[in-house]
Amino acid sequence: MLRIKFAALTCLLVILGSSPLWAASDQEVELLRAEIAAMKAAHEERILLLEAKLEEVAVAKVAAKSEASSDEIIAVAPIRPATNRRQIKKNLFNPSIGLIFNGQYTQHETAEGEIAGFAVGHEGERGGEGFAIDHTELTFSSSIDDKFFGSLTAAIVKHEGKTEIELEEAFIQTMPGLGLPTGASIKAGRFLATIGYLNEHHTHTDDFTDRPLPYRVFLDGGYNDDGLQATYVLPTDFYAEIGGGLFRGDDYPFGGSDGEGIDAWTAYARTGGDIGENQSWRLGGSVLSGKSTTGRESNHELVSYVGDTDLYIADARYTWAPTGNATNQEFALQGEFFWKEEDGFYSDAESGADSVLMDDSSEGWYTQATYKFARNWRFGARYSQLNAADVPTGLIGSHLDGEGYNPKAYTAMFDWTNSEFSRVRLQYNREELASGQGDDQIMLQYIMSIGAHAAHKY
Amino acid sequence: MMSAAFLCCASSNAMAALEVFACEPEWASLASEIGGDKVKTFSATHARQDPHFIKARPSLISKVRRADLIVCSGADLEIGWLPLLLERAGADVQRGAVGNLMAYQYVPLLDIPTMIDRSLGDIHPDGNPHIHLDPRNLLLVGKELLNRLVLIDEGNSDFYKLRFAQFETKLNTAIARWLEEGKQLKGMQVMTKHKSLSYLIKFFGLEEVASLEPRPGLPPTSSHLAKVLESVGSRNVRAIIRAPYESDRGIDWITSKTKIKNVIIPYTVDGDDNSGDLFALFDRSLAILKSAL
Repeated sequence: MLRIKFAALTCLLVILGSSPLWAASDQEVELLRAEIAAMKAAHEERILLLEAKLEEVAVAKVAAKSEASSDEIIAVAPIRPATNRRQIKKNLFNPSIGLIFNGQYTQHETAEGEIAGFAVGHEGERGGEGFAIDHTELTFSSSIDDKFFGSLTAAIVKHEGKTEIELEEAFIQTMPGLGLPTGASIKAGRFLATIGYLNEHHTHTDDFTDRPLPYRVFLDGGYNDDGLQATYVLPTDFYAEIGGGLFRGDDYPFGGSDGEGIDAWTAYARTGGDIGENQSWRLGGSVLSGKSTTGRESNHELVSYVGDTDLYIADARYTWAPTGNATNQEFALQGEFFWKEEDGFYSDAESGADSVLMDDSSEGWYTQATYKFARNWRFGARYSQLNAADVPTGLIGSHLDGEGYNPKAYTAMFDWTNSEFSRVRLQYNREELASGQGDDQIMLQYIMSIGAHAAHKY
Repeated sequence: MMSAAFLCCASSNAMAALEVFACEPEWASLASEIGGDKVKTFSATHARQDPHFIKARPSLISKVRRADLIVCSGADLEIGWLPLLLERAGADVQRGAVGNLMAYQYVPLLDIPTMIDRSLGDIHPDGNPHIHLDPRNLLLVGKELLNRLVLIDEGNSDFYKLRFAQFETKLNTAIARWLEEGKQLKGMQVMTKHKSLSYLIKFFGLEEVASLEPRPGLPPTSSHLAKVLESVGSRNVRAIIRAPYESDRGIDWITSKTKIKNVIIPYTVDGDDNSGDLFALFDRSLAILKSAL
């Protein structure tokens, strides 16, 4: 349309401007023709540009109905840009809700699966056999207002024949709007403390079906206690983060807190970075320290402990995407080392030991590697080992007497991840947890999620 | 290229540059076009990475914590990692703040789903997030980026405005040229791997005949490929086009049975050796598509 109008206008101008037309020679006609052609060519480009601009303006109009010209925007632009065109839905303020299904079939070779020489809590024991749904996790989370965020994770579990709800996490966290220094955040409530590598992760994100031995004996799966934690990402060019928390001291490796005072505390420091474009790493060190005042129960309530516990953890993780694209291929190496010091009194109802003083240390570590060899497929291997403490005479023959044996476990796994929301895993364990004992285990597990699904940490 | 030249010569008298954290290389490039040596850009992903699936790795936490402005595609493209990074960042770059620019909010979106259900694959409720492959969107986002830079760093507003005006003119001219030179691509039939090139397809007026993914984000299955092959029989499909980070799974099978070419489009800045900036990206994409015709 524009082009036709322009051509007509040009002709009209030419006709009016060149007089007398009827007297023009052939040469003049040719000249005029050439002139028109030149003008046409010159304006063709301009028209194209205008057309492009027209489309762009029309598009911009859709994108920002209320916006005026760009200069005006700069002058009067609101502090909060309000051009989000998402529809307002009635349930927009509802919290994000997510549900994790976790089921497995397990087969053990031996009837016994006790870890020699260690006080082991309920979650640290060997799991049951046969079909079972493990923790079914329900998470609600949302920003509360401009300054706080809240999250709740409840696990529906079967415990001694009864279906129970375990409150894994229920915390509030400050958001940057509160005005704390950039990089600083405070969490309060019950939550998985930031120590080690695996501890702050929910088990459904783990690379293996069960937790490695040190997590089972030192943290009863994971340390989640009631308390307060502060974290701070340093303003350095490389990643460095420090933090610490104060806790009630009610969760394993503590327990039986009477609520008087603060019975446990944590501290951690982390750093990490990239090596080239395709490799990343993280290193961390942390402490978990506290006391059990009225007694921590373990080993089916047969063993109880009153006293101080200090746990030191070093953790490392390294990832490498050989082709640059971790979606299709990725290698991950991870390990943690634990050193635990205890100074307190142990009682063992079975061996008859009554408040025997024990002041010694034990260790544990694991290392694991996983390799994603195709978009949906991974395999991995893990080794974990424990070194028990030497027991005083009074505890010989008790659950804490490992007779100098170091429990160990070998693990291999193979999993298929259909999408971010579903994974099926086959795992083989060989556990040698006590002298002369060897248990071959097969586990087939699925982990699936519906609803909102929080992003996974590095 | 231009920004690099600027950087080397003006660094001596430059004050602390504004730190721009871009989720993808195209936005880092756009920020350098407008910000010149007054901004220091960093891209969280490179062209061989699928921006859907990177991890919130430690180095990104420190970068985003120091950022004055973050520029991302949005529309859930970075949902697997950006929320974790923002938890550790300052108030000035949080959602809704001046320092948080989600590009999808400023352009008309394609592929907005009418039905949202996870069984339909990797669905983006807001629409297709790979918006930068329509160069007209770069102007729209660039205009907003200018607004943000001016709000954050008022002292240099004339500098940004001038550079944006230059960029706008240059891009408008280039767009006209790309459209002109790409006229012959109109109606060219192509197949895609994923919905990552939809905006480029629209810009050049190509016709997307089929996608090798049965559903967005789900890898091709043999039954789906067989169906795709059957459907192309009567058509004149020239190429299967994909981004460098998308696997060639299933493509060889189709190309071995037909004359359809296997074509990699650079997708973003530095997607191949000849796509060093946004202009080169489209020059190169155009040349590749024409050679596949």
